[in-house]
Amino acid sequence: MTTTLAPAPPAAPAEKAALAPSGGLRRRLALRLLALAVLYLLWEVTARVMHNPTFIPSPGAVWDQLITTSTTHDGVRGYSGHLLIEHLGVSLRRIVIGSLIGIAGGLLIGVLLGTVGWLRVVAEPVITFVRALPPLAYFSLFIIWFGIDETPKLWLLSIAALPPVAVATAAAVHNAPTGLVEAARALGAGRWQSIRDVVLPHALPEIFTGIRLAVGVAYSSVVAAETINGVPGIGGMIRDAQRYSQTDVVVLGLFAIGLSGLLIDALLLTAENRLIPWRGRA
Amino acid sequence: MSSADAIAVSGVTHSYGDVTAVGPIDLTVPPGEFLVLVGASGCGKSTLLRLIAGFEQPTTGTVLTNGTAPVPGRGAGLVFQQPRLFPWKTVGGNIALALRYAGRPVTDERVDDLLRRVGLHDVAKRRIWQISGGQQQRVAIARALAVENPLLLLDEPFAALDALTREKLQDDLRQVSASTGRTSVFVTHSVDEAVFLGSRVVVLTPRPGTIALDLTIDLPRTGIAADELRGLPEFAALRAEVGHAIRDRVTV
Repeated sequence: MTTTLAPAPPAAPAEKAALAPSGGLRRRLALRLLALAVLYLLWEVTARVMHNPTFIPSPGAVWDQLITTSTTHDGVRGYSGHLLIEHLGVSLRRIVIGSLIGIAGGLLIGVLLGTVGWLRVVAEPVITFVRALPPLAYFSLFIIWFGIDETPKLWLLSIAALPPVAVATAAAVHNAPTGLVEAARALGAGRWQSIRDVVLPHALPEIFTGIRLAVGVAYSSVVAAETINGVPGIGGMIRDAQRYSQTDVVVLGLFAIGLSGLLIDALLLTAENRLIPWRGRA
Repeated sequence: MSSADAIAVSGVTHSYGDVTAVGPIDLTVPPGEFLVLVGASGCGKSTLLRLIAGFEQPTTGTVLTNGTAPVPGRGAGLVFQQPRLFPWKTVGGNIALALRYAGRPVTDERVDDLLRRVGLHDVAKRRIWQISGGQQQRVAIARALAVENPLLLLDEPFAALDALTREKLQDDLRQVSASTGRTSVFVTHSVDEAVFLGSRVVVLTPRPGTIALDLTIDLPRTGIAADELRGLPEFAALRAEVGHAIRDRVTV
């Protein structure tokens, strides 16, 4: 249920930006600003016509909440005793740690699955099984196992982030280019050397796509992870605000998650272009 | 078939399933020879080269290189029809990797020196896609030379290049081979290329490939320009002889 609050995977618009010719940069920017302005107007008009701030809060109300939750008012610090930026920071920390663990595990499992045939036969259904589960479903299990503090949250994000990386890595490693591997072997490379120097670099573009997916999944799972004892945390803030029908705070939280998600994806995309200059050329 | 032979192929056949691609073949190559295997496409000449490289095992018979069974990466440098360079490495990085695999010291001088030997200057820092197809194939040859194996095996390395680049590379390879004196096996379907490069030309019959003609090419290896060599009457005679040997056996 809470997963529906998650932002859409922010990969799509960024991908298009990379593909579009740079000549239309200004035009594209103008188009996007125009679209944003239209959306804003629609929102403003709808909020005024509905005249029901609990159902649709006005942009102004959300802006006021941004100010309120970012400052100390009447002795109350931000929201539930934490500033908005602190809520977001705690969530981002969880996302980063969870993603890192999930990515590391996914890489390891992916390489094993891509190289060891029988392991792939055994483990592939298991990974697909875990992938199909909504994170909130196995969160209950982690609560029973690990309590309600940081540990179950990090487990949740790690397990959610692992499958995309594992699947992408396994597929890319399995489809290693025979010609290049043969060339490395002809130069005297052993099995491990040809994996390190040929198979993995060749798989890097696909692995990176898996990593971006994984970070997206971790992002959309953080709200689920913060449904229990989630304050401070942006998901906990949204959850509390929902309980008290503070729709403007809920919307503010959605914006905070969505915008920081866009930013992180842009960072990943930049890292990708830096790290993989050969993408699309080989 | 003494152990002094660089390559000793005896009674070798190779089958893919029910199809016999090669053999039976007996062939010995003394050290220093530049052997060219020539034949129509599908005659198994590439398979024979892969047997010598150790990438395939003979169905019957034995293959020995320098007295032992060939293992990929030990004893033979290999150049393929496609350059097969690693795009995540720079040009110099590709050479450096080969040096590292061979357990040789990796220095910029060593890399530049190898590139110079195949006629390349100031390309070490370039990316693979920033150099031409002909240059890429030169890098592939330099990479194979870096390993300094006693054998150099080349599988139609110039087939995908345009005619001009191809002639230039043939000329350069002839000089590199003369200066290194390394035993080489070169596979091609071009009669002209075979006679130009080889000190010995072996013509294979269509599938299954067996030896149709084994010819020593007694042309000067050094001190002669490419055009001059191609203009010699002996060159034309040898080319005609090899050409006949191929055409006689091809039924289209």
